Amino acid sequence: MHKNLITLFFIALLYSCSSEDHTQEIIVYSPHGKEVLADFSERFEQQNPGTKILWLVMGSQDVLDRIRSEKVNPQADLWWGAPSSFFMNAANEDLLQPYKPTWSAALNKTQHDSLDRWYATYLTPEVIAFNSQVLTKETAPQNWDDLLKPEWQNKICIRNPIASGTMRAIYSAMIWRFYKETGSPKKGYEWLSKFDASTKSYPANPTLMYLQLARQEALITLWNMPDIELQKQVYDYPFDYVLPKNGTPVLAEGLAIIKNSKNPDLAKRFYEFITTPENLAIQAEKYFRIPARNDIPPEMLPKWMNDANINAMDIDWQVFSEKSKEWMEYWSQNIKGAGKP
Amino acid sequence: MRLKVQVKNILAKQGTTAPLLLFVVFILLGFVAYPNLHLLQQSFFQDTQFTFSNYLSFFDTTNNSNLEALWGSIYISTLTVFFSALVGVPLAYLFTHYDFPGKSIFASLAVLPIVMPPLVGVLAFLFLFGESGILPRAIQVIFDLETIPFSIGGITAILVVHTYSFYVYFYLFASNFYNDLDASVLEAAQNLGAGTGFTLQKIIFPMMMPALSGAALLVFMAAMASFSAPFIFANTTRILSLEIYQTKLNGNLDLAVTQSVILAGFSIIFLILLRIYSGRKRYIGGSKGVKIKTKVIQNGITRWFISTLGIIAVILLILPHLTVILISFVENGTWTWQMLPPSYTLDNYVGLFEDPKIVEPITNSLKMASYATLGNLIFGITAAYLLIRKTFPGKKIIEALIMLPWAIPGTVLAIGLVVAFNMKNIFTLGTILVGTFWILPIAYFIRNLPLVFRSTYAALESFEPAQEEAARNLGAGWLFAFRKVILPAIAPAILSGALLAFVLALGEFVSSILLYNYYNRPISLEIISQLRVFNLGSAAAYSVFLIIIIGLVVIISNRFLGKRTGQVVV
Repeated sequence: MHKNLITLFFIALLYSCSSEDHTQEIIVYSPHGKEVLADFSERFEQQNPGTKILWLVMGSQDVLDRIRSEKVNPQADLWWGAPSSFFMNAANEDLLQPYKPTWSAALNKTQHDSLDRWYATYLTPEVIAFNSQVLTKETAPQNWDDLLKPEWQNKICIRNPIASGTMRAIYSAMIWRFYKETGSPKKGYEWLSKFDASTKSYPANPTLMYLQLARQEALITLWNMPDIELQKQVYDYPFDYVLPKNGTPVLAEGLAIIKNSKNPDLAKRFYEFITTPENLAIQAEKYFRIPARNDIPPEMLPKWMNDANINAMDIDWQVFSEKSKEWMEYWSQNIKGAGKP
Repeated sequence: MRLKVQVKNILAKQGTTAPLLLFVVFILLGFVAYPNLHLLQQSFFQDTQFTFSNYLSFFDTTNNSNLEALWGSIYISTLTVFFSALVGVPLAYLFTHYDFPGKSIFASLAVLPIVMPPLVGVLAFLFLFGESGILPRAIQVIFDLETIPFSIGGITAILVVHTYSFYVYFYLFASNFYNDLDASVLEAAQNLGAGTGFTLQKIIFPMMMPALSGAALLVFMAAMASFSAPFIFANTTRILSLEIYQTKLNGNLDLAVTQSVILAGFSIIFLILLRIYSGRKRYIGGSKGVKIKTKVIQNGITRWFISTLGIIAVILLILPHLTVILISFVENGTWTWQMLPPSYTLDNYVGLFEDPKIVEPITNSLKMASYATLGNLIFGITAAYLLIRKTFPGKKIIEALIMLPWAIPGTVLAIGLVVAFNMKNIFTLGTILVGTFWILPIAYFIRNLPLVFRSTYAALESFEPAQEEAARNLGAGWLFAFRKVILPAIAPAILSGALLAFVLALGEFVSSILLYNYYNRPISLEIISQLRVFNLGSAAAYSVFLIIIIGLVVIISNRFLGKRTGQVVV
């Protein structure tokens, strides 16, 4: 019997010592969700037989941390999605490979790196999302400061902000509102402290956050517009959102080739593929992503996108890129949970 | 002349010892000592500058978040020990002292939590007892309540999960103790006129102390290292193992390294305490002793009462497993606010066998667990053989190094590997390991080093050296004697240790989350990422697969290798 077990063990061991050819494949790190990634990697593979687009979906901060850890031995080839401030940090740390896309003229200069190390793909507005079985667009909080009202006490859940690009951008924007006038984050920290006191929980990932919102464990969250639309339309979640009237951060979400990519040519082809006007139109239609390219004819885009009245907050993303780590560390160490008894 | 022969013999003996010893020392230096020393060193540096500032900021009194996290870890671990003992010890007493209907089923189900991979168990509790959990909602519906009657979250939830997972240690320690207890000692006390309370206080309790403190320290260490439960439930409670992950994520590697050193430091202190306790002599009577007779409960009401209690306990133990199985049939994305999933499907299992994207993590985990375990076997057998049969200086150091990974929490181990193998070095033959497939099998190998070593060591220790000598005197070479004489005798014990290591590696989550990449993404990470994109069903199907494999391994070990598995754990 023991002999058999040992034999079995060795069979399990020998079972495929893989030495596959990795030349015609790239790995993409992205927070954009499996729906978009599965869709466009399949489209690309169909049109380019023999290629493989492999992807890992994770939070934006996860991506940055990972690329940083893998600097000496890069594993990924392409980084698709995260607020521009993340890409600025990565560019400063020499983690990105310059590439000038064919459509580079279609962006304004705040939407790409001056050295071509990253370009924006989408403009993503952040929103106040709510459970639409309980609240309506009228009864939900309309502005950031409304969130601090006592009526929302313990009705808010926030995706653990440390790992999330969306949440880091929103929290940084809340500090920025005061920082740009006073030059100090102090008042912003005070705002976040009050907000922490109203926050019921910090779920570890977006799904747990969606579940809490859907199950009415919490009624309100802060998140980005495309994801909320997607959950609402695809999974029939009872979600809706308010675009804060006095301005909301609109993230330019970046795209970049990672330095020392093992297959930069294929990475460039996929880079171009996901940013053609046709494919951006599909992403707009199916996944509610607002393209950053300004040369896409309005008739190619869904009506709601052309009608949307988004009041973008005036933000210096360079400051976000420089301060975000300090601000978030302060939040994590001094503010998180401090408002609770 | 005689002297010459002796020298020759010694040389011949050293001939086998030296290369084996070199191998053991190389592995220990490269994969245990080096990463951890590197970690320790880095905690005193900021950009290439020697400094204490990392420690100063940890113990900064104006910002006590780190101290709070340390305190949170200690607090939760202490309570975990208390509750685990509260469940485990009485349960062991019940099973060793009384006989009642259904006892054998009940007794075999008591170790069921072992069959639950760490992350999966946490998720099961979330869906079962969380704020929208099946149970609270069911009671709300049945009794038509305004709000849910109860739910778990935060520290309570962590404690419930910990107690469920760790009471087994107390249960096994206490069961072993009661089984070894000499009934004649108790009878003697009784005959001398001691009452029940007196016997308990003066005889049973002192005799039981070593077993209890062993279990307590083990549970304490496990709770300090626990990551999955805080990861899902901690909310705003600060817990050091989780804080390390967050600090690293925020890009402050220096502080993460310092937090790691402090967490590891505390665990090592406890390991040393554990060694001191387990090193103490056990209370063993002069005679072979008489086993305690189990009492058959005759009284109708008591029988009925204990059986009911047993059935309730069994249901509680098996509920998490049932929950995972239930969720594995849920159509992805359909179960939101309903009490029970609205629609069911077999798709999740079909995908498990057909969709290459879904199958890959399974083959990855199987491969990596196999490699790691094979490594553990080779290393464990060699090291144990050397330590028991050969004499050389530094034995104690080697043994300490082998046991070290046991005291080092998975998070810390992973951070150590990140900082140590992010550059070329001689132990990895000049390659960079971070980002390659091999980083995870190596992490699993290191984590399970003590386990396989211990089971091998125990087996070899009880093996009579005269048998080997006889074989050698009859002309067998060292390898032949080892293969034909030693190995068959010690194989069962070694295999049960190896199987357990295999199972632990298969479901490993804590180190994996910091070290995985595309080509080695393991099942546990796929469970988390499926969950991230709301594929509850797929996540659960993976979990059921893990539970089945682990269950099979436990059954095989018990059936063919004797009931050693539990003993290997402790």
